[in-house]
Amino acid sequence: MADRRARRRPGLRSSGRHTAQAAAQTGSNPGNDSNSRRRTLGQRRLRVFPDPDNDTPRVMLKRVIQTQPQVSPLKPRISNHEGTEEASPELPSKRVSSMGELQLPDLAAEDTFVTVFHLNKKRKKVSISEFERAADKRLFQNQAQSTLDNTTLFRSLRMSVGSLMAPDTVEKRGLLRRPRNRKAIDMEAFEGGVEQNMLKSNAQNYLVDLQSASGIRTTMMTSDAEIVLNNTELFVQPQLNERSQNKLSALGPQLSHSKTPAQRSKISDAAQDTAGPEGLVSGVGTDEGRTQRHSENSGLDQEHIDRMAPVSPGTPANQREDQQDGSQQSNPVEQVSVHEEEVAGSAEHGASAGYSEHLEKELAEEAELQITAAQDSRDKTDTAPSAGEGLAEGSDGPHVSPGAEHETAKGVGAGSLDRHSDALSSSEKSGMNPLEEDDEQDVLEDQAIMLDLDDPEEEPAEDESEHPESQEVKNFESEVRQCRLDLEETAMGSSQQRREVSMKTPAFVRAAAHNPLLSAPQDEKPAAPKSLVQLLKPKQVPGRSGTSQRKPREPQIARSLIKEVFSYFVKMPVTREAFKIVEKCSEKYFKQLSSDLEAYTSHAGRKTVEMADVEMLMRRQGLVTDKMPLNVLIERHLPLEYRKLLIPVAVSGNKVIP
Amino acid sequence: MRRTVPRSTLRKIIKKYKPQLRLAANADLLVHLNFLLFLHRLAEEARTNAFENKSKIIKPEHTISAAKVVLKKSRG
Repeated sequence: MADRRARRRPGLRSSGRHTAQAAAQTGSNPGNDSNSRRRTLGQRRLRVFPDPDNDTPRVMLKRVIQTQPQVSPLKPRISNHEGTEEASPELPSKRVSSMGELQLPDLAAEDTFVTVFHLNKKRKKVSISEFERAADKRLFQNQAQSTLDNTTLFRSLRMSVGSLMAPDTVEKRGLLRRPRNRKAIDMEAFEGGVEQNMLKSNAQNYLVDLQSASGIRTTMMTSDAEIVLNNTELFVQPQLNERSQNKLSALGPQLSHSKTPAQRSKISDAAQDTAGPEGLVSGVGTDEGRTQRHSENSGLDQEHIDRMAPVSPGTPANQREDQQDGSQQSNPVEQVSVHEEEVAGSAEHGASAGYSEHLEKELAEEAELQITAAQDSRDKTDTAPSAGEGLAEGSDGPHVSPGAEHETAKGVGAGSLDRHSDALSSSEKSGMNPLEEDDEQDVLEDQAIMLDLDDPEEEPAEDESEHPESQEVKNFESEVRQCRLDLEETAMGSSQQRREVSMKTPAFVRAAAHNPLLSAPQDEKPAAPKSLVQLLKPKQVPGRSGTSQRKPREPQIARSLIKEVFSYFVKMPVTREAFKIVEKCSEKYFKQLSSDLEAYTSHAGRKTVEMADVEMLMRRQGLVTDKMPLNVLIERHLPLEYRKLLIPVAVSGNKVIP
Repeated sequence: MRRTVPRSTLRKIIKKYKPQLRLAANADLLVHLNFLLFLHRLAEEARTNAFENKSKIIKPEHTISAAKVVLKKSRG
């Protein structure tokens, strides 16, 4: 008994339940000094009796093993409890003594005891006092029966231990339960929090979905939506863009053939270029603020929107993934509109007259443009290359891609240029100068942070040196002041578009402009989600209604490809601006290339560029020499599949792949 | 390295500049080769410029001056 008690103690201690043990002991023995006496007695007696047996823990373990199977921890034993209740009071006294002696078996048996405790716990709580009473009575009786007591003791031990351990188990269970309860509570709270998060995330996902919506049509939509979401103040701008897009869809088929696509691309490129140097992220907020002001001003002026319409969709046409570019482009658009407003307001007397004349001329000629086919444009391109150049240079100034604009104007819808060029070049130049100066100055003033241009200085120089200088030299010189030029380009290009488009505006667009104008102030007020929906719907509509003309994509070499190839070849870190320059360079290169190929092909009396033509070009460039044949270059730089296509390879079976 | 040459893009670009011009079957591959070699030359030139400036990064100035030279060279 004492041994077992001793067992218990170390077992309990090992489990770290000193307090429980003490509590159990105190609880089980409230003011029962007799128990302690009994323990001592029991200890003596137990030691006496089982000494030969208890000396070795092995023996004790045997006893435990022998006795344990009799008691299955899983089965509730009421009868045993009753039987052991009497013996249990002895156990506590004996346990203490036995605990100290035997530690090993305790550890082994502890598990079973613990399980038993669980079972016995409920029953034992009540019977502790009874045990104690019975223990006093039965103490002497049980002492005589050592062996029997073993079995009974074990059971009683378990029972008593269960009782003693009841508080422990309670505590154990309490300990065990608490985390469970905690988990339950946490789960509930977590679920509640999850729901809240879901709501938030749904909103976010909605935004994310909007933002991530693919397709050209939705790009502006998403960008505007995002802008709207980010700044609830900006209702006018996206809506204006929206309306402008609506108008664009109507104007689309007409404008598409004009030089606006090229200009749009230039504007987009320029805008993107401006976005680069200007620092997109920080600029967006300020630009949006600016655009808002501009839009507010423009909302009042019909002309703005009319001009905005063609310009802004032209710019969004080339915006795809870069929202910042969208905001950036909208900025120049807005600024342009503002400038235009200012220009219109200021140049009422002399320049406006000439301006309106230009507009009228451009209008008529734009209408003709629409009607005329590409063939006409070709003819006109031939006749008006210089005039076109003069026009473009005079209007745009030294831009990176005035040549492209010229050529596109020539190649595509330059019908207007023919008649425009003479009239415009002569009249516009004079009229353009003050306008340009005003525009550019206004642009510069608005972007005062970024620009310190010498516009007045450059413009007269630009106007004067229209023809004689070669485009390339000019372009290179201009590239030195890339940032400025880009901005100017946007202003000029957009101003050109403005004029071109404004021609059409009086026809029918203004009527359409009126409606959105009227509704514009009203629509500004609705909440962001509403505006979102509005943005979504109307923006989808023009995309669908204008199916005849999806936003015309400018075919460009993938920027990623350029980056990859250039980085691979240069083997050094390259700045972003340098990449932009490489892109522009490659555009010029393709221009040169196409003209050269055309020359070679026509020289050979053919209309299709053949491999020989391209090889001739490479030879002229100095890439293919006598020392460096073409095939070597092919092998070096092209992937396997294409090599096979280009080089006749003798394949097994005498099959030659041409 | 990329595995697929943007053949359709090349054709579109040439069409943009010269709509009346046609391309043979695999001529656009040669055009792409030409483009690669052009970029190669541009990269070499830019790298030389950067070395001359004792800069470890390709800066826009280097690229611009390199572009001037290479575009002139590749005029044919």
